[in-house]
Amino acid sequence: MSEKAKELYEEVQKKIEALKDEDSEYAKFAEIWRLACLGKYRSYDLRYLYEDTSREYIEKYKPAIIEAKEKFVENIDEYVEKCINVMEKTNKFKVYYAKTNEEAQEAFMKELGDEKVIYKSKSLEAKDIGIMDVLKENNIEIKETDLGDVLCQLFDYEYPNFTLAPGIQFSEEGIVAKIKEKYGVELEPDPEKIVQFYRENYRPELLNNVKISLTSANAISAHDGTIFLLENEGNISLLTRAVDKHIVVSGISKIVPDEYDAFMVGKIQERITNVDAGYISVITAPSGTSDIRGTRVFGMYGAKEVVVILVDDWRTKAAKEDLFYKDMLKCISCKSCDFVCTASRAFGNVYSSKYGIGGLNIVRDYIHNGIEETVKDGLFLCTGCSNCTNWCPSGVDLAEMMKNLKKIATEKGLCPPPLKSYQERILDDKNPFK
Amino acid sequence: MGRKLIFMGCLSSKHYPDTCENATKLIQSIDDEYEVLDDVPCCGALAYHITKEEKMKEHVNFVNDWFQENDIDKITTICAGCYQYLTRYYPKFLGDDFQVDVEHLLQFLAKPENLNQLNLEHEGKKIHLCYHDGCHLRNAVVPIIEEPRTIINSIKNIKLYEMENNKLNSICCGSGGGVYSIFKENSDYNTQTIFDQMRRGKILLTGCPFCYTAFQRVKKDNNVKKIVLKIEDFLMKIINGVDPLNE
Repeated sequence: MSEKAKELYEEVQKKIEALKDEDSEYAKFAEIWRLACLGKYRSYDLRYLYEDTSREYIEKYKPAIIEAKEKFVENIDEYVEKCINVMEKTNKFKVYYAKTNEEAQEAFMKELGDEKVIYKSKSLEAKDIGIMDVLKENNIEIKETDLGDVLCQLFDYEYPNFTLAPGIQFSEEGIVAKIKEKYGVELEPDPEKIVQFYRENYRPELLNNVKISLTSANAISAHDGTIFLLENEGNISLLTRAVDKHIVVSGISKIVPDEYDAFMVGKIQERITNVDAGYISVITAPSGTSDIRGTRVFGMYGAKEVVVILVDDWRTKAAKEDLFYKDMLKCISCKSCDFVCTASRAFGNVYSSKYGIGGLNIVRDYIHNGIEETVKDGLFLCTGCSNCTNWCPSGVDLAEMMKNLKKIATEKGLCPPPLKSYQERILDDKNPFK
Repeated sequence: MGRKLIFMGCLSSKHYPDTCENATKLIQSIDDEYEVLDDVPCCGALAYHITKEEKMKEHVNFVNDWFQENDIDKITTICAGCYQYLTRYYPKFLGDDFQVDVEHLLQFLAKPENLNQLNLEHEGKKIHLCYHDGCHLRNAVVPIIEEPRTIINSIKNIKLYEMENNKLNSICCGSGGGVYSIFKENSDYNTQTIFDQMRRGKILLTGCPFCYTAFQRVKKDNNVKKIVLKIEDFLMKIINGVDPLNE
C-alpha cells in the first residue's frame, strides 16, 4: 500500500473526526447546510413562488440550455473571437484575452494601476483565475461587498464556504459580537439590525468611494458581447454603476451564443436558488451619453470604463482534446449539484477544495493543483449516487468526472488502502470477500 | 437454450446466506429451472469507480467467459450493484459478445404472471411500510422504480408509505462506490435521514444489500425502532405467515 495513500486517507479522516465536535467550524457549517439541502428538494416541487414549480421550469428550458452550451463548446474558438470582436469594436469594452491565469493576473494588476484597494462582488472565477492570490501577494486591500463575503472577512474565515451564501454558517450572536469587537457598535442579534448596520455604514462608501471594481459574469453573449450579472443585494448594481473602472474577470466558458441564451442561463440560475436575483444587470457598454450634439462621451453617471479579462487557461484545451472534465465548460454555476450531493450532505465543507464546497470545486482543484490535492479534498467521499448528474440543468456529468478522478488517483497509488484491497481481490481472486 | 442463474453477488453470498436462500426459494417456486452455482465470479462492482477501463475489461471478459463456459444465458440477480453493472458495463465493454439477459429480482417478481403465482397476502393487522430506492436501481440503464411498488401494493393489508425523498430523488444511503469500506460516516448522516423520513412506516424495505448493510448498522448504532428488511426476506415472511414486525 502506498504510504502517501495512507497519509491522505488519514488527513480526510481527521477532518471527519473534527466534524463530530459540534463546536468545530465543520460542524457549524454542516448544521445549516444540511437544512438547506433538504429544503431544496422540497422547494423544487412546490408551487409557492410561481404557477409552475422550479422543476417544471428547468425541464422546460433544459434542452435549450444544453444546446446553447454544446454549440459553444463545439465552436469555442469561433465564439470567443466573435465575442472579443464585438466587445471591442461595438461595445467599447477594453478586452484582454488571457491564455493563462498568469496572463490574466498580469492584465488585472496593470488595470489596477496605482490603486491600493479593490471593491469586489462574489466571484468564484476570481479564485479560480488566481486574482485573489495576486491581490493578497501585492497587499491590495480587498473590500468584499456581498454580505456573506463581508461576514467571512469579519470572521477571518479560512474554511471553504458555499459560494452562493458564503456566510450562512455564522450565527446572529457571533456576528454582532464580531461587529462589537471590530467597530465598537452594539447591535441586537437580529438579521434586520445587522443588515441595517451595513446599509447605513457601508452603502455610502459603495456609492461614493469606489474607483475600481471587480466582478465576474453569470453569462456573456458572443453575439453582442453583453455581460449578464445576477444579484439580490444591489452590490453589483453599485459596483457596476457607481464606479470609474469596472473590471470583469471571467473564464471563456461563461460565453453562450447569444444574449437570449445568456438571459435564459441567468433566469435558470435564479430559479434554482429562488432568492438570488432581485436584479439582473445587462451590460453592453460603459455608461455614456451622446446628448451633446451627438458627441459620445463615456462616464456619465455609471462606469466610465469597462475592462473585460477573458481567460482561457484550461478551457480550450479541455474542449479540443475532449478531456474528461470538458463538461465543466457547460456548467452555469447554479449549485444544484451541491444541494443534492450525498457526500456534501454528510460532510459539509469537509468535502471541498479551497475554491468552495462540492464535487465541481474538487474537479477545479484537480485542474489547477493536481490529484493529491483532490484526494485531500475528499474525492473518495463521493458514493457515485449520480444525483449531481441527474439534477444538472445543463447536462454536466459530474458523477462521471468524479469516477475519472478516482481512477487517476488509484493509478497514482492514492486510493484509500481498504478500498484498494477490494479492487485487488476482485481482479486477482474474482471475489472481494475471499 | 442456456441455463438460468440466480446471481447472488459476493456481498450477499458472504454475509447474507439466509437472504440468498430466501431468494432461491422465491425464484425457484416460480421457475424451477433457475440454478444456484458455486464459485460465481464477482461482477466487479466495487472496482468500477477506481479501475482503468482496460483492466476492467479484462475482468469483464473473464466473467463473461465464465458465463459462456457454464452455458448461462439468463440471470436474475438479488444485488442492486450487480444489476446496475451487469446491465451497464458488460454490454458497453463486450457489445454483442455479451449474450446474457440480466434482470433484478424485483423485475422478475413484478411480472404479472410471476406475482400472481406468489399470491401475496398478509393476514395480520395492516402494516405501513416504506421502500427505499437505492441508487444502483434508480440509476441503471433500465431503472427499477415502479416494480417494487407493484409488488408491495399487491399485498393485502400492506400499505406503502412513500417517503418525502423517493424514486429519483431518494437519499443515497451513503455506502455506495466502496465508500462503506473507507468512510462509514457517509451513511451515519444519510441513512439516519432516511429513517427520519419514514414517519409512520414501520418497516424499511430495500432491494440492495449495500443499503441494507448501512441501514442495519445505523439502526443498531442509533437505536432506531424500525425494522429493516431485504425485499426477499420480507416476502418470505409474508408467504410463511410470519409477522414481518417480529425481528
